[in-house]
Amino acid sequence: MAQIFPEWSNKVFPVLLAFIVLGGVATVGFFWYYGSPKYTDVGYRPEQPVPYSHKLHAGDLGLDCRYCHIGVEVSYSASVPPTQTCMNCHTLIKTDSKKVAPVLESWTNGTPIEWVRVHDLGDYAYFNHSAHINVGVGCASCHGNVHEMEEVMQVEPLSMGWCLDCHRAPEEHLRPVDEVTNMKWTPPENQMMLARQIIEEKNINPPVDCSGCHR
Amino acid sequence: MKELKDLKGKDYWRSLDQLADTPEFRKFLEREFPEGASEIKNPLTRRNFLGLMGASIALAGLSACRRPVEKIIPYVKAPEGLIPGIPEYYATTIPIGTSAYGVVVESHEGRPTKIEGNEKHPSSLGKTNALLQASILNLYDPDRSQRIFSEGDEKEWSDFVAFWKTLYTEYKANQGEGLALLTDSFSSLTLTRLLDNFKNQFPKAILAHYSPVSQENILKGLVIATGSEYLPLYSYDKANVVLAIDADFLLAENENVINTKNFARARKVSSTSDQMNRLYAVESSYSITGAMADHRLPCSNSEIPGFVAALIKQLNASGVQVPGADDLSVQGETKIDQNWVAAVARDLVKNSGKSLIVAGSGQPAVIHALVYAINSALGNIGQTVNYRDTKDLGESNLESLVALTEKVAAGKVSTLVMLGGNPVYNAPVDINFGEVLEKVANRIHLSSHLDETSRKSTWHIPQSHFLESWGDCRAADGTLSLIQPLIAPLYESHDIVEVLSLINTGTEQKSYDVVRAIWADYIPSGEFDQNWRKILHDGLLEGSEMSTVVPPLKGRDIADYLKANPLRSYIPNQNNFELSFDTSPAVYDGRFANNGWLQELPDTVTKLTWDNAALMSHKTARHLGVKNEDVIVLNLQGRELTAPVWILPGQAHFTVTLALGYGRTSAGRIGNGVGSNAYSLRTTNAPGFDLGLMVQKTRDTYPLTSTQDHGSMEGRPLVRESTIDDYRNDPKFAEEMVKHFPLVSLWDEHGYEEGYQWGMSIDLNACTGCNACAIACQSENNIPIIGKEQVKNGREMHWIRLDRYFAGDLENPEVVHQPVACHHCEMAPCEQVCPVAATVHDEEGLNVMTYNRCIGTRYCSNNCPFKVRRFNFFNYTKDLPEIVQMAQNPDVTVRSRGVMEKCTYCVQRISAAKITAKNEQRAVKDGEIQTACQQACPADAIAFGNINDPDSRIVESKQNDRSYNMLAELNIKPRTSYLAKLRNPNPELS
Repeated sequence: MAQIFPEWSNKVFPVLLAFIVLGGVATVGFFWYYGSPKYTDVGYRPEQPVPYSHKLHAGDLGLDCRYCHIGVEVSYSASVPPTQTCMNCHTLIKTDSKKVAPVLESWTNGTPIEWVRVHDLGDYAYFNHSAHINVGVGCASCHGNVHEMEEVMQVEPLSMGWCLDCHRAPEEHLRPVDEVTNMKWTPPENQMMLARQIIEEKNINPPVDCSGCHR
Repeated sequence: MKELKDLKGKDYWRSLDQLADTPEFRKFLEREFPEGASEIKNPLTRRNFLGLMGASIALAGLSACRRPVEKIIPYVKAPEGLIPGIPEYYATTIPIGTSAYGVVVESHEGRPTKIEGNEKHPSSLGKTNALLQASILNLYDPDRSQRIFSEGDEKEWSDFVAFWKTLYTEYKANQGEGLALLTDSFSSLTLTRLLDNFKNQFPKAILAHYSPVSQENILKGLVIATGSEYLPLYSYDKANVVLAIDADFLLAENENVINTKNFARARKVSSTSDQMNRLYAVESSYSITGAMADHRLPCSNSEIPGFVAALIKQLNASGVQVPGADDLSVQGETKIDQNWVAAVARDLVKNSGKSLIVAGSGQPAVIHALVYAINSALGNIGQTVNYRDTKDLGESNLESLVALTEKVAAGKVSTLVMLGGNPVYNAPVDINFGEVLEKVANRIHLSSHLDETSRKSTWHIPQSHFLESWGDCRAADGTLSLIQPLIAPLYESHDIVEVLSLINTGTEQKSYDVVRAIWADYIPSGEFDQNWRKILHDGLLEGSEMSTVVPPLKGRDIADYLKANPLRSYIPNQNNFELSFDTSPAVYDGRFANNGWLQELPDTVTKLTWDNAALMSHKTARHLGVKNEDVIVLNLQGRELTAPVWILPGQAHFTVTLALGYGRTSAGRIGNGVGSNAYSLRTTNAPGFDLGLMVQKTRDTYPLTSTQDHGSMEGRPLVRESTIDDYRNDPKFAEEMVKHFPLVSLWDEHGYEEGYQWGMSIDLNACTGCNACAIACQSENNIPIIGKEQVKNGREMHWIRLDRYFAGDLENPEVVHQPVACHHCEMAPCEQVCPVAATVHDEEGLNVMTYNRCIGTRYCSNNCPFKVRRFNFFNYTKDLPEIVQMAQNPDVTVRSRGVMEKCTYCVQRISAAKITAKNEQRAVKDGEIQTACQQACPADAIAFGNINDPDSRIVESKQNDRSYNMLAELNIKPRTSYLAKLRNPNPELS
């Protein structure tokens, strides 16, 4: 009697199994990689209504971050400056520049500039800038080398896991408080000792409970 | 129940059903959430819901991974000193009738979000009540009128100005002949000056003040007793014995915030050597003042004259002659318990100069005259009660309204300007104001909503909310308080100062300029600019309180008055019911009817929400053959009104009490058609109460929604109570009330020795059950309102609820209140059953709720012994109009459907204080963090703080002898504890 199943049918089961396993791994892996904030958020560089260059202002001209972001030491919000802040200089400087035109327009019409948010946390996460700045977490630790960016780009995933990594072991990211806005600051060789000193001095005990950030 | 009795407690019961232990109540208790609560009751069926879900998943794809683009919109020119993210606070004043409450309002980037008391203001002393807390929501009421209307057409302000200019010239020429002005009651320097100006401009014009709830009778009583009008200022903190005659001074009467604060101050006991005041309450319906009383006497309003006469007689017997009442006689009948009155009289005499008798503003003038005479005879004037003259007061005057209506009916008024108020809805029904009004050619109405009166007017002008207005008030003690705006008018609205200035001058004036000029005139010249800045900062002019006077008592005048108008006392009976009109603690006189927070707030005693009801005693209901929710027809002098029945233990027999302010037809989408309109039975002769009510039963029923049975905790001593004498003998009685085995835990216990450890203590002896905390919490924590249907399903969302228990007999039970919010148990039962660790403990002892993790199993609520967890059955906030969203606190997450929520101890306030302290390199100070409920509480009943700080108020409170943990026997270690309640009964009466 002829066999009902041809010989190749022996391979169906292992091949199917391999497909299922590989398919499963691929699917999980796909979402693991492409669904993570590391992929979806890092590198986000939206076009802004004003071609403002952080490289020029913060880098080449050396403006301190806090000249514009006035809330960063006292408020949860670092705050984006009002048009008025731009006009402190641009009433005199580069008044005919095309790039400054939208700012002048905002100033004359009284219409605010609608910036696109780059670093966007979930509304249920209550991040506070002042709590970080006042204990020596540098701007660059989260925002990267803004002084080298023509247009601001997100360089860190800003995911909860990423936050917690630092909250659990903040040593690597601490610096003297008067250096927080220094974009060119590099950790010294004895960073760990320095960090422990800051932790001691500032009584740093970053919350890792839900209530630390969620209310 | 038996166990409890053995433990020398009382039998507590929460409702008549429970007392009767009916099968329905059993069934109710067996279910965590009442029947039907888990079914999705919306037009989407389960099937097409699943269909939709499938489709949206298929469409979702990866495009949804990145959040939608969000914009940052900075200012063009930032306001000076404003840093985004840091709230600002401004002092202003809330006028409610003649009361003025100084408040400090929190503003986020120019958006007012929260109201707190102003510590410098004599009428709030940093505290608030439910109405003040809720008035922020009125600003964002989407039903507020937004345009000027004339005869149904939208108009501009300039149209009205032009219109008035022609009339102005006309009336200026004829001295105001045919012009009339009707205002709400007020107490204000600016308004008085402007009205003086009005009288000068138009000497022949008619001026009237009317407000359905007022102190008119008190003023008139003082006229009888002393010959002139005076305003009383009560000092409850100085009174050892208080007798309240139909006076709910803790909630309904004027100045209830400081009344509560002062009363609680004299009632608090921190050790066995402390003294405690004593309160007697005589009232027809159960109020929270009655609930706080050490002795309460149910007495119909019609029999109050009999009571007062009996009191005077007994005072005479104790050797105190009451001037003007030497040969006082009472016509009619009275059956007052003479022993009770005698004991009260002796107690009052014993505490001469330190006692206080107060009558409610609904009582007729003659009662107030006699009360003044009694207080005077007892030497209380100048001690526990002071008086000031009525400068700058525009109190409601019913006669002025009647006179105005007569003139209107006679066709002698061609223009009627109504500034505020809603007389078409709330004027006495017998003067037919709404109908008569149509005889006036030009009817101009300024009001926040297009209300009943506006709809009958030829011109309607939207009135600005007080947070958009300039103006001023005089507080009860005369302190000049400033109303300053926090936000420009959201709509095309105008404040009363602006409109009245236009009326007076025929030209537009800015209210800021008017108010500032009047104050500049008032304040001695020289340093005005400097003073003004301080006034803007403080919200009041320091040192501007008026001197108190001792009005001369004219006993002969009282005697003459009584000869001409003898006291009459009646006992309502089955053929002659009494109907009383009470101010609603939720909607006041109806002006708060469109405020959802207040409508959904359970009543202080009945726990009814979203309705008023005909309150009556058990005996009365049995006589009528009605039960709860049966609809009856109230017939008073031929006028009929239907209302549902609610049985209230402790109500005087054959009396019916109906709250004012319901049954609105033009309040807005929330207030329209809620409850029965008591004004439709209220007449000029009897604005407080009336006899001759006939009650007919109908076959209809009307569903009423009461939260009283929700979350019942049967038969266990949850509220612990004793008397001051027993407490002195056995100070630790509260803790000893429950005997249990030594507590051993199955789990490893957390160590909470280090850092901040938050805890709360609630003094049941001070808590009056006034609901201020509930609304403060709702405002602070973005708690949604869900509507009557959903409350009926047991889904109310309040994070703090006020449990009300009755104790004793049905005729005159005692009432205790107990605020219950999440206890933040250290061994929290909710955490042990959550399958997704959405509710966990943090290292500071908070039981935190992580909304994003919650999958809505509701196991936690099942396992919560306090039943304080609240579940979002629907997405209550999704469809909120944008304008209402502006009332939300940006520091608190707005919850979505399917997640559990509960009290967080105001974790946002804790975080903010901790960050501020850390930035300043110091520890959080005691008292720096106040939870919203604590900050609002006028009785200072709530303490909160770090239980690891031995010098803190919370530790002091927790070390009090009376401190006990609710359900300690479950070994859940709650962080919230209570201080047991005490009463101070008169030994002669117990």
